[in-house]
Amino acid sequence: MMETWRYIKEWDKLVSTAYGLSVDDTLPYSIHEENSPPILHLYRFKPSVIVGKYQDIRAALKIDRCRERGIEYNRRSTGGGTVIMGEKTVALGFGISMKHPKMNGGIRGIFDILGGVIINSLRKFGISASFRPKNDIEVNGRKIAGLSASTEVGDALLFHTSLLIDFDIPLMLDIMNTPAEKIYDKGYSCFSERMTTMEKELGRKIEVQEVMEAVKESFKETFDINFIEDHLTQTEKGRVEWFIKKRYTCEEWIFSKRHPKFKMGEGLLKTPGGLLQVYISLAGELIESLMITGDFFSTSANINKIESALKFVPADRRDIENTLGSMWKENLIYGIDTSMLTSAILKAKENCG
Amino acid sequence: MGVFEGFNMPDELYYHTEHSWAKVENGKVRVGMSDFFQQEAGNVVYVDLPDEGDEIEQGEVCGKIQTRKWIGKLVAPVSGEIVEINEEVNDDNTIINKDPYGKGWVLVIEASNLDEELGNLIHGDKVSEWIRSEVKRAEELKAKGQEGKE
Repeated sequence: MMETWRYIKEWDKLVSTAYGLSVDDTLPYSIHEENSPPILHLYRFKPSVIVGKYQDIRAALKIDRCRERGIEYNRRSTGGGTVIMGEKTVALGFGISMKHPKMNGGIRGIFDILGGVIINSLRKFGISASFRPKNDIEVNGRKIAGLSASTEVGDALLFHTSLLIDFDIPLMLDIMNTPAEKIYDKGYSCFSERMTTMEKELGRKIEVQEVMEAVKESFKETFDINFIEDHLTQTEKGRVEWFIKKRYTCEEWIFSKRHPKFKMGEGLLKTPGGLLQVYISLAGELIESLMITGDFFSTSANINKIESALKFVPADRRDIENTLGSMWKENLIYGIDTSMLTSAILKAKENCG
Repeated sequence: MGVFEGFNMPDELYYHTEHSWAKVENGKVRVGMSDFFQQEAGNVVYVDLPDEGDEIEQGEVCGKIQTRKWIGKLVAPVSGEIVEINEEVNDDNTIINKDPYGKGWVLVIEASNLDEELGNLIHGDKVSEWIRSEVKRAEELKAKGQEGKE
């Protein structure tokens, strides 16, 4: 018999970060403690910016600008980087047991299977997306959705996705600290070359409800299940209240100091292929994000591929060269080789302050 | 020593099914994450460590490990009091990946019920069988993910 999973839809209102994140955090508890079937929660946030569990929020955001503009900020319980949320971004929370027969346990593949659900949703609109290891969905080299996950209780998994229907790049540049801060005038093109949205891909407006429906259908097809539209139980509502009070309105949580040391720097290198500019942010000894610009010849897709491959790679010559070596093709960047690019990255690391 | 399916899993260590390892040292137990974990989960970004003095039970989550794609659990392989933690894993967040059984250890437990609890862990000849089943399970899931994308 076909399984029935729970579907909690909140498309007709914009929720606070404290409420939306608290509902998501209750999902794994319902799975683990109430033996609930898997739960899909689709919703939208008020204009807000949300950092990953172990990010340094003060380093990632311009808190004062967020306050001035009335943009909520908060910290989610899953990993990954900063996301800007709002009325044209679909927020997805999904709770399931890792031991569920449809998931089959294990770490490898969770993002493949759940990323596949998002790719299939986009296909319904005629958008051909692909999975960019290890936690992004992209269209022609531009990011359209971000994925993150955690296991907080027992074997229950919480999976998060933000899917961009439309996106406000100037807002992002105004409230986030980015490695490209010093090239603010180029900031817009830097990001518009690295991200896309459903509306940009299709050249028309899309209703949020259409997208949520497509995501729901994609879950049904991927897992061969039915959904029942559901509401939170009394127990779940109690837990949501607890998370709002003890976690998402709590300064200690939002401004948590449990994170790696965060640093940013810039490296410049003259090469036969042109000037190479690298902007880097480090989380401890790892590259958290990287932006490569300059007056060399390459394509946005190639640059995005390189930047993505280097995310969370240790910032030392051997690891960077190994990573670049495993993906490099001739003329990926015309006139620049892996050794030159590595040197520029290491210069940026040296300049981190 | 044991290398199974490309994973270095020394069979003199004791493993919890959640991939923490335990090494008995004069009644105390040094704990870290296995090579299988670090290869599968990717580079470790941050380790949310417990405090020294905390009492933990076998199988209890006593820390969180964030990798690029995942926040995983550090599950206590034995019960007891945490008597030492390795702060260096956050000063240099690459050492769990580079040296999971050496510099990348995470904590030391003063075990309270060691003899009985070691029997609940995977050890010796059973390690290779366990890793093979883990790899098979992971491959099946991966294949399912590929189907979803076609």
